[in-house]
Amino acid sequence: MIKLQNVNKVYRTKTIETTALSDINLNIDKGEFLSIMGPSGCGKSTLLNIIGLLDEPSGGEVNIGGNALPNYNTKAMAQFRNQQLGFIFQSFHLIPDLTVRDNVELPLLYRKVGGKDRKRMAEEALESVGLKNRVSHFPNQLSGGQKQRVAIARAIVGNPEIILADEPTGNLDSVMGNEVMDILLELNSKNDTTIVMVTHDENMAKKTHKLIRLYDGQQVA
Amino acid sequence: MIKHIFILIWNKKGANALLLLEVLLAFIVLFAVLSFVFYNTDRLSDPLGFETENRKYISYGDLDNFNDSTRILVLEELKRSLLDLELVEEVSFGNDVGPFKSSNWCHGNDDLGFDISACYSVVEYDFIKTNGMNIVEGRDFTEHDLNATYQLMIGNQTFIEETFGEKNMIDSIIPFQGAETKIIGIMDEYKYNGEFEESANRVLLLSNPEFNGYARMTNAYLKMDPSADVAYEEKISYMVESTLKTSSYVIQDAPLLRKRSNLENWIPIVALLGMCVFLCLNVALGLFGVLSYSINRRKAEVGLRRAIGAHAGSIIQQFTFEVLFLAGLAVLFGAFFAVQIPIMNVMDVDSSVFYRGILYATLIVLVVVTICALYPSIQASRIHPAIALHED
Repeated sequence: MIKLQNVNKVYRTKTIETTALSDINLNIDKGEFLSIMGPSGCGKSTLLNIIGLLDEPSGGEVNIGGNALPNYNTKAMAQFRNQQLGFIFQSFHLIPDLTVRDNVELPLLYRKVGGKDRKRMAEEALESVGLKNRVSHFPNQLSGGQKQRVAIARAIVGNPEIILADEPTGNLDSVMGNEVMDILLELNSKNDTTIVMVTHDENMAKKTHKLIRLYDGQQVA
Repeated sequence: MIKHIFILIWNKKGANALLLLEVLLAFIVLFAVLSFVFYNTDRLSDPLGFETENRKYISYGDLDNFNDSTRILVLEELKRSLLDLELVEEVSFGNDVGPFKSSNWCHGNDDLGFDISACYSVVEYDFIKTNGMNIVEGRDFTEHDLNATYQLMIGNQTFIEETFGEKNMIDSIIPFQGAETKIIGIMDEYKYNGEFEESANRVLLLSNPEFNGYARMTNAYLKMDPSADVAYEEKISYMVESTLKTSSYVIQDAPLLRKRSNLENWIPIVALLGMCVFLCLNVALGLFGVLSYSINRRKAEVGLRRAIGAHAGSIIQQFTFEVLFLAGLAVLFGAFFAVQIPIMNVMDVDSSVFYRGILYATLIVLVVVTICALYPSIQASRIHPAIALHED
């Protein structure tokens, strides 16, 4: 499903060259739930961005869903992200001026799904995360856990094959964090969705199928 | 997508209201200034009705140092003396109402079922010839007309058309200034207050002491040979002073008067247009600043949209459309109020002036807003999604 070979990422300025990732090799199968751990600044988010086609590697080969990264132009990458990937972020990234339903509908807008279908699909996604009664609320009327559940609904509304979660429980207390983790585990087991999750929490990482550790941009385990 | 953008705009109505107000005010100011400019420049296309090239005007006032009978003789002598000068081709007299005199004598009544109103000049028989005016129908005054049994009139086309419509009025008798007046000719135009004057009812009455003796011939109009230079005014001056026995007179150059009159009208037009350019610049800079700030605050949103499938083009479209929609709404409000002026006939001005004002103000506002919206939108589309998502 996702294959990375000798992936490097180097950030260059005029004076400094910083290696964010070095020789990363990764093979994630369909339906697998992988967690990535490591200290801050070790390259976890960079790796997730490369897998999510939000960033390009400086070297190596990225192959997602059978397509090598160079085969995509920016428009094709946007389309791929829209149809195959779902993103969950630590800080939720909900648009404050849109209601919960409008936020969840966003990926479908770029897929040009009709208004009625969008509404139905968004409500179904919200129902699956237990927020059907909050469709008309605005993000500032929700708790942190509820916001993250809205973000999960937005990630799954288009039935993507891969979900990329960047510290989804990082801003939540343990109770809410566990709730969110349970939803992700259910998605993985029920829908066979491949999930790649960056986390700092050892307990959360233990619940996933596979764990890799990064240190200074290198894969150490 | 359009509905989605409407929702976004509506949910940010508080912040958007100020932007809408700014564009609305800019539109109203532009509409007012452009309408004023069109109103003035439209009148430039109408003919002036008389020549100014190689013309000089002499104003000498009432000549109170002479009694009525002597005054006529003195003026006849002045005319003869001036015509004796080698480079003076024509001389004619007129009252205080003449080219660039800023003076009006007007008459109005509704006798015979016609609302007859016009501003008039009392002139000598060769006034039309001296000033290079154009008779389009009927005839000019002649020397023999001094013995006419009626007061004689030549009206401009506007006067004839607005007062009598399509009727043939040549040789018709109408009441005018308390005397039976015969219309003997129609001139194309006589905008004696200058090129920016609106075409209005204007007539020339032949000077005749029996009908209009109250109107003294206070001005002489001269047609000069093209070779007469400014120094030649000295000879004219000597002639006037020695004949009229007074130094209270002014010799003016007609092209200069025309230029000065035009300048008086162009100055406010150019000043207002200059203010409009500054206004547009201010609005543009204001909009640019507001949009750049707003888009900067929405970096995370841009990152998110890129992550979930928006490409650069759709980001540009979204931000530009948001601003253009607001500007369009402001223009719509403004146009709604502006269009009431011609519809309700608030001002006695050709309605096309206001419609053109609305059209051009709309175009200018939309072009300025599009330019100001495009650049920040393009910048937004270039935000790297990974960086934008990480910044929040």
